[in-house]
Amino acid sequence: MAIAQKQAPAPLRGEALLNIRGLSLRPGRESNPLISDVGFSVAPGERVGVVGESGCGKTMTGLSILRLLPMRRARLDGEIWFEGSNLLALSEREMRAIRGRDIAMIFQEPMSALDPVFTVGDQIAEAYRAHLPASRAEARDRAIEALAQVGIPAPEKRCDDYPHQLSGGMRQRAMIAMALICGPKLLIADEPTTALDVTVQSQITDLLRGVCERTGAALLFVTHDLGVVAETCTRVITMYAGEVVEDGPVDDILTAPRHPYTSGLLRSLPGLSPRRGLLPFIPGRVPSFDAMPSGCRFKARCAYAVPSCEERQSLREAGPGRKARCARMGELSLAGAVQ
Amino acid sequence: MSDLPADPVISVRDLRIAFPAGPGQSVKAVDGVSFDVLPGETLGIIGESGSGKTTLGRALVALVQPTGGSVLHGGIDLSALGAREFRRLRRDYQIIFQDPNAALNPRRTILSSVMEPMEIVGQGDRGARHRIALEMLGRVGLAPEMAERFPHQLSGGQKQRVNIARALTLQPKVIVCDEVVAALDVSIRGSVLNLFAELQQKYDLTYVFITHDISVVSHISDRIAVTYLGKLVELGPAEEVIERPVHPYTRALLSAEPLPLPSSMRPARRIVLQGEVPSPLAPPSGCRFRTRCPAAREECAARAPDWREIRPGHWGACHFATAEGPPEFPTVNS
Repeated sequence: MAIAQKQAPAPLRGEALLNIRGLSLRPGRESNPLISDVGFSVAPGERVGVVGESGCGKTMTGLSILRLLPMRRARLDGEIWFEGSNLLALSEREMRAIRGRDIAMIFQEPMSALDPVFTVGDQIAEAYRAHLPASRAEARDRAIEALAQVGIPAPEKRCDDYPHQLSGGMRQRAMIAMALICGPKLLIADEPTTALDVTVQSQITDLLRGVCERTGAALLFVTHDLGVVAETCTRVITMYAGEVVEDGPVDDILTAPRHPYTSGLLRSLPGLSPRRGLLPFIPGRVPSFDAMPSGCRFKARCAYAVPSCEERQSLREAGPGRKARCARMGELSLAGAVQ
Repeated sequence: MSDLPADPVISVRDLRIAFPAGPGQSVKAVDGVSFDVLPGETLGIIGESGSGKTTLGRALVALVQPTGGSVLHGGIDLSALGAREFRRLRRDYQIIFQDPNAALNPRRTILSSVMEPMEIVGQGDRGARHRIALEMLGRVGLAPEMAERFPHQLSGGQKQRVNIARALTLQPKVIVCDEVVAALDVSIRGSVLNLFAELQQKYDLTYVFITHDISVVSHISDRIAVTYLGKLVELGPAEEVIERPVHPYTRALLSAEPLPLPSSMRPARRIVLQGEVPSPLAPPSGCRFRTRCPAAREECAARAPDWREIRPGHWGACHFATAEGPPEFPTVNS
């Protein structure tokens, strides 16, 4: 992986824990970017949701922070400041010290993220011993504590279970225990509840919110589900076609989104009330990264597009603590989840 | 949906489907389920994983053999028919699957996939099949040039439209839709669900919509059935089930649905169920929901609740449910 070296010192804005600026990711040296000009920050203890359709770059943004990209020739440009260092300028060895200790990741499918031939206790203990000097017995005790912390009953027994002996919800709890074992400052969770049943999903979102409040860890929650974001996060970032198009407090965005794409996503949710009649939807599909339109990337699907949308849009201030990337954000009054 | 009682298009009576699972064991995927599918209605079937909803859906289109009880299609037991008669009647009952990719042959063009069911039943000549296939592709909103493309050249939403077109070619009476929008982005689900509604009007179709997503079911269904571990726990008019459920499980499901509402508008109290759905290999005695039910009492372990009409046209299986609703149980502040 080629890493762009930046000479600039580390100007930490405010007291952000994570501050991403002008991040772009190319799958190959010369290819078009999968994500471009992504910038946002996460304060300590803050819970931030990243939403958008599939193919919008949410997952790639999460993986870029940890430099865990699936492509061998991926090229990252921009800056990812975390606690005073630019993660993109670190050596692989320095990066390894951060992964799992300061920044931990929770994946969607716990069955494929856990190793089937080791017990969950061993795997959690391994994560601990990778970063902290501890004996096997000590690490095992810590693993049992961590399992108890995420609500696994009889943790001293469960510790010796293999992943296949746990249910889907329990496996995801074990993943969270592993992520928490070194006391990370930032948790990145990529669709952690998508593979779970709805009654188990609410247990896991409650747990995530609870552990973040208790340990003071910040959360970057990647999901397609705005309902889950509303219940878990305090801020939400909407991504579309590899760009951040909106950023603001959850309640403000749910009530009055500033970008037509966020509004479209919110309006597309069927809701729980039985009502007949047509459901709103967003026509068309997300453009592919190798055929990205110029100007506003959403304009072909946008009901509010005007000629000025042909110009490239930047992410601009849109009220207190809010940003949006829309030429018409000042004049439009868009529908949110509440109608 | 008409208010007049009509003969059911499908009637399911005490249906049982078990799969062998090792020596002396079996998974009772469907375990004593009875209901009718009425002509022209959309019946939503909701359940979590392991509830048996997919097996139930397959049984409705005779893709699995019952191990007990019966499924009657227009009063006829398809499993008792000879191959030729079976094939003739079977075409009235189609199914659309969850994964639009897996349901299409990657080496066949879209047109050829859509023509295949007509070839199998031997309907019309090649020219007629071609014409009907193109017409159906048009009906589901696909441009004619899509016909010569291959599945990988289409988006997920377009592929699901192809599957809908294919199911329509035989002019079925009933279409079972198994998680048909689960693989689609929320942003385009609306367009596919709208298409289902439009086609229902046009072709007088009956739908059985199987899903784990209560918001999808609440929007499109006339009636909703709720399944848990191979049993029905509730069945009633959609509005009633959503707004005044009688079973504690339904109430918990509704409460667990994450709502995209600002904190000031979110219900302050919610029910968080403990644990997960038990293994269908060893279901609990008595009421199957009792291990997770906040209102469970001794009686629930001793005896399975009867399937009874708790309100007119609204059925449920809970010892303590009344016309007022499910038994009281504690909620937590969220």
